[in-house]
Amino acid sequence: MSQISYGNINDRVVQSMEPPGRSWLVCMVLILGALSMGVFAWSYQIRHGLEYSGINQSIAWGVYITNFVFWIGIGHAGTLISAVLYLVRAPFRNSIYRASEAMTVFAVMTAGLFPIIHLGRAWFAYWLFPYPNQRELWVNFKSPLLWDVFAVSTYMSVSIAFFILGLIPDLAAVRDESKGAKRFFYKVTSLGFRGTNHQWLHYMRGYLLFAAIATPLVFSVHSIVSWDFAMSSVPGWHSTIFAPYFVSGAIFSGCAMVLTIMIPLRKAFPGFADIIQVKHLESMGKMIVFTSLIVTYSYAVEFFIAYYSGARFERALFWFRPFGEMKGFFWLMVCCNCIIPLALFVKRIRTSLPALFVISILVNVGMWLERFNIVGTSLAHEFVPFAWSSYQFEWVEIWITIGSFGWFFMWFFIFVKIMPSIAVAEMKEKLLPPFRKKR
Amino acid sequence: MRQKFCGAWATYEYLDDTCEAIKELRRSGFEKITTHAPCPRHEIDHALGNPQSRVPFFTLAGAIIGFGMAILIIYQMSLSWILPVSGKPVVSVPIMGPIAFELSVLLAIFFTAGAILFFIVKDTLRYPVPRSRHYREYNRFMRDRFGIVVACAAPEVSEIESIMKKHQAEEVTCEK
Repeated sequence: MSQISYGNINDRVVQSMEPPGRSWLVCMVLILGALSMGVFAWSYQIRHGLEYSGINQSIAWGVYITNFVFWIGIGHAGTLISAVLYLVRAPFRNSIYRASEAMTVFAVMTAGLFPIIHLGRAWFAYWLFPYPNQRELWVNFKSPLLWDVFAVSTYMSVSIAFFILGLIPDLAAVRDESKGAKRFFYKVTSLGFRGTNHQWLHYMRGYLLFAAIATPLVFSVHSIVSWDFAMSSVPGWHSTIFAPYFVSGAIFSGCAMVLTIMIPLRKAFPGFADIIQVKHLESMGKMIVFTSLIVTYSYAVEFFIAYYSGARFERALFWFRPFGEMKGFFWLMVCCNCIIPLALFVKRIRTSLPALFVISILVNVGMWLERFNIVGTSLAHEFVPFAWSSYQFEWVEIWITIGSFGWFFMWFFIFVKIMPSIAVAEMKEKLLPPFRKKR
Repeated sequence: MRQKFCGAWATYEYLDDTCEAIKELRRSGFEKITTHAPCPRHEIDHALGNPQSRVPFFTLAGAIIGFGMAILIIYQMSLSWILPVSGKPVVSVPIMGPIAFELSVLLAIFFTAGAILFFIVKDTLRYPVPRSRHYREYNRFMRDRFGIVVACAAPEVSEIESIMKKHQAEEVTCEK
């Protein structure tokens, strides 16, 4: 940090926003290719119906709902880092929070697509919202699915507002470093911010309130998502542990995704190496290992309660998960979420960026599988034996899933080129300000 | 309509010089002070006498309105079309929780954002800044320089200029 000064931070951020090079363009072509295949697969599904996804009569919630929960979970870490860690003044937050917030916004944008894709007839998605139709047939407020509509749309609005609010002073800094049309663009987007005491006073107070309000939202959103399952009577879903279990899982996967994004970002822009320090990424590694232990505990509790309750259907399901025909998903999940993160207890692994990167990807794979296990295996093994079934992945849902990663990374790649991916003002705030008298 | 600016503005390299200049200006009776900084600094707030923001009142108002709105929506819509669900009451209080919470948060956020904008505009109108091209195009305030702008009557400009220079201002510009 010793080489970093106020002006220096501006230079590094502006440097990262220079016109894209060949590697950026190659990545973008791959991303757009994945997205196009996803769009094609979705349009094929719209034309031919949901039979082209793996959804069947028993497993009516398949890959799409798994993807929805997965992406909402990814979005959690951004708000956690920007809001919760802001309130507790965690020192490793400053360098990574802007990219994490962007990740949140894009992840929630991706998650929001999946309930619509899952509907089949996507054009009726507006039926979910309370609006006065001809018969005044309002939505069912007793359904947790409707709570989810409110929760996810509020979370998305708050995440976007928080993200934009944080960007304003940094856009003003970029504006003052730019010329021509670029300057005009940043002049408009920075809303005339010039760092006056009046602006900072109301801005900082507002920002603190945003953080304070967003903090309970972090916990509420994934709790409400978990109630989509827990409020039903399906074995494996009807559990009071679901809300904290989902929240910790979301933080676990979100932190992993932050590492998946920040490590290449640090590599792509050498100027960021002093700003995004290894110790910051190491702290994320610590959060991953901590949340991994919570998730492991939750898995153990689920099995124990199934045994201890004596409920036959619950016991049958928790036998089916590790030993039934879908056992591969379960054991891979245990390996990725419970065993591999334990390596992060070793400082050498925690401070090795290639190791952190590989572990973060495996955690993401594990967390996707966790959601699939919850959604898929519970529905595959409900109360009536003749309705027991298995799940066959279809090419349409596989490409839609790959396309969702294309959609997410497309926005992220655009973001790093047009917006400051490091929080300029907050990084300056953490530096020792220039004093004439030695302190 | 913004007032015509009369006063002086200065740029500083060091934060302690800026704070000293602000304190002396306030001691000399100048209260229409606007400062610039590349990031929020508590030292400047202390020098200015710890001004407080009223944004939290709007946040609270937003939260209360959001909460009330949620209760009203659920109550009105539940009665407008009776939807019996497994013996639960038509207007059920526990189910109001999640939606009331989400709408409280949503409106609190919107009100906070609105309040930030409102108070910034209000203060900008109350504390005039120069309209000169030189001031508008000075582009180091968001980079690495601190600034002080003082609005005053024409005869007081020279006094402000001398205070600013006394505290090692890099550049002082008087505008009448």
